[in-house]
Amino acid sequence: MPFPLPMLFSAAWSVFVKDLLSELRTRYALNAMLLFAASTAVAVSLGAQFLGTRRDDETFLLQSALLWIALLFAALNGLSRSFVQEEETRTALALRLAAPPIAVYLGKLLFNLVLLLMLDVVTSLLFIIFVRVQVDNIGLFITLLAAGSLCLTTATTILAAIIARASFKSALFAVVAFPLLMPPLIIVIQGTALALAGAPWADGLMHLRTLLSYAVATFVASLLLFGFVWEA
Amino acid sequence: MVRRISQMAKLLIGVWMAGVIFAMFLIIPQYEGLGDAGRIIIMHVPTAWVSVLAFAVSAFYSGMYLWRRRPSDDDRAVAAAECGFLFTVLATVTGAIFSQVVWGIYWNWDPRQTSIFVLLLIYAAFFALRAAIDPMERRRRLGAVYSLFAFVTVPFLVFIAPRLADSTLHPNCAFLPGSQCDGIVLSEGRIGLLGDRKIRLLALNQQGDIITAAVEVSEPGLTSSAILEPTFSLAEGRSLDEPHFPAVRFRLALEQVDLTTGNVRLNMHAPGTGTIDNPRTFFTFMASNLGFTMLFVWMLQMRSTLLGVSWKLEEREGALI
Repeated sequence: MPFPLPMLFSAAWSVFVKDLLSELRTRYALNAMLLFAASTAVAVSLGAQFLGTRRDDETFLLQSALLWIALLFAALNGLSRSFVQEEETRTALALRLAAPPIAVYLGKLLFNLVLLLMLDVVTSLLFIIFVRVQVDNIGLFITLLAAGSLCLTTATTILAAIIARASFKSALFAVVAFPLLMPPLIIVIQGTALALAGAPWADGLMHLRTLLSYAVATFVASLLLFGFVWEA
Repeated sequence: MVRRISQMAKLLIGVWMAGVIFAMFLIIPQYEGLGDAGRIIIMHVPTAWVSVLAFAVSAFYSGMYLWRRRPSDDDRAVAAAECGFLFTVLATVTGAIFSQVVWGIYWNWDPRQTSIFVLLLIYAAFFALRAAIDPMERRRRLGAVYSLFAFVTVPFLVFIAPRLADSTLHPNCAFLPGSQCDGIVLSEGRIGLLGDRKIRLLALNQQGDIITAAVEVSEPGLTSSAILEPTFSLAEGRSLDEPHFPAVRFRLALEQVDLTTGNVRLNMHAPGTGTIDNPRTFFTFMASNLGFTMLFVWMLQMRSTLLGVSWKLEEREGALI
């Protein structure tokens, strides 16, 4: 690696700060994601009011599946933004000159993660208020949300970089990302249902382990492959 | 010389596959209880194997392309993905037909159905992605990255899909020698799952050497239930009467009885259990696997050559304009 690690991290941090500032200026991705999540929560609450009053295993699974559907599609709306914007405003070339590929990747990854965590907070609050989802093991619920979001970001950041170079960007992003996201989604939906039911930490540990190993595998693969995408 | 050998190889594959089809319909014995539907296994399993093999080959050549930047490697990766897609569709369709005939349900989201569905989606996404990128060099590179990245995530399905449903319609124990279904151990009054059926051991009755278990079997979705009574012979140490599950051709067997603890082992027996032990079926099955693999290699070679030639032609036309 031509860059020493501290320099790499400071470059990544500047990419992250730059993205955050430009996002706060336009709030394009944030608005799209939050409005999407809000409309899903309201639609679910209007359409299925019985969901909040029942508490059995099937309802927990339904609630957690609906929550993750809202999160997934909101994320697929917003997470490609950081790379697509670089192409649209033609700043990608400048970024290529200014920072090493790994730093760009790490910066964007961090930005996507922060974006998604904000989305998590808002969406789960909306679900708790509107759909009257009752969370019995709050610690496990929060940890699973964070782990699931980590998986979503590590898997989709490199895909966002790929589709930024293609046509039909937003439609393609969902098509390309969905099959790769099936494994963590299945696990996190089951785990979240457990957390809603108030299962002890020991029961959720297997889910957390699988999610983390998925995140690590996709993160390492992204680090290895990102250079090829960024220079293509 | 090379031409001669490849001609011979092509003919050999044709004859080989014809032989496999002949054996599949005329030589191997009928699967007990499955009737002629069982013969589809000779096609179904090899196509499924090739679809996974093609996915790995595609990822391998994608990696080679990123490493050496030779367009021929990318042609091979694309050709492997195209063949793989074809075989995946074939495996899915033959599996669904068999499943409908034998178990009365086309689709069940059992672990292998989930994984093959994801595989189909990944292939489709790969083609969609390549179609959406115009510059050739970039298309190749991004396609290769996607193929490799997808290859990293698929193994997770192998661990995760079995947790999706406790059910599997794929009777590992029936068709592969050496593997076994363990069944479940229950004591009186306890419930458990066998495949996608909930079962409950109601009572154990002993009459001399014969143990009869009363087992309540509930349909998936708990819509209806039935009481089956498998029996076990203490003297011979084996199960005697194995009643059929309602509406499917699996049988419920009482495999072990421990009178001191009151535990019994119940298991599902698939029709055709042990047929692979039959040498005719086993050799036809293996020959079919080999034949489909050779067919895949030949298709891969053909298609990648064709792709290479068509790129060359396009390049030349572009240069002339």
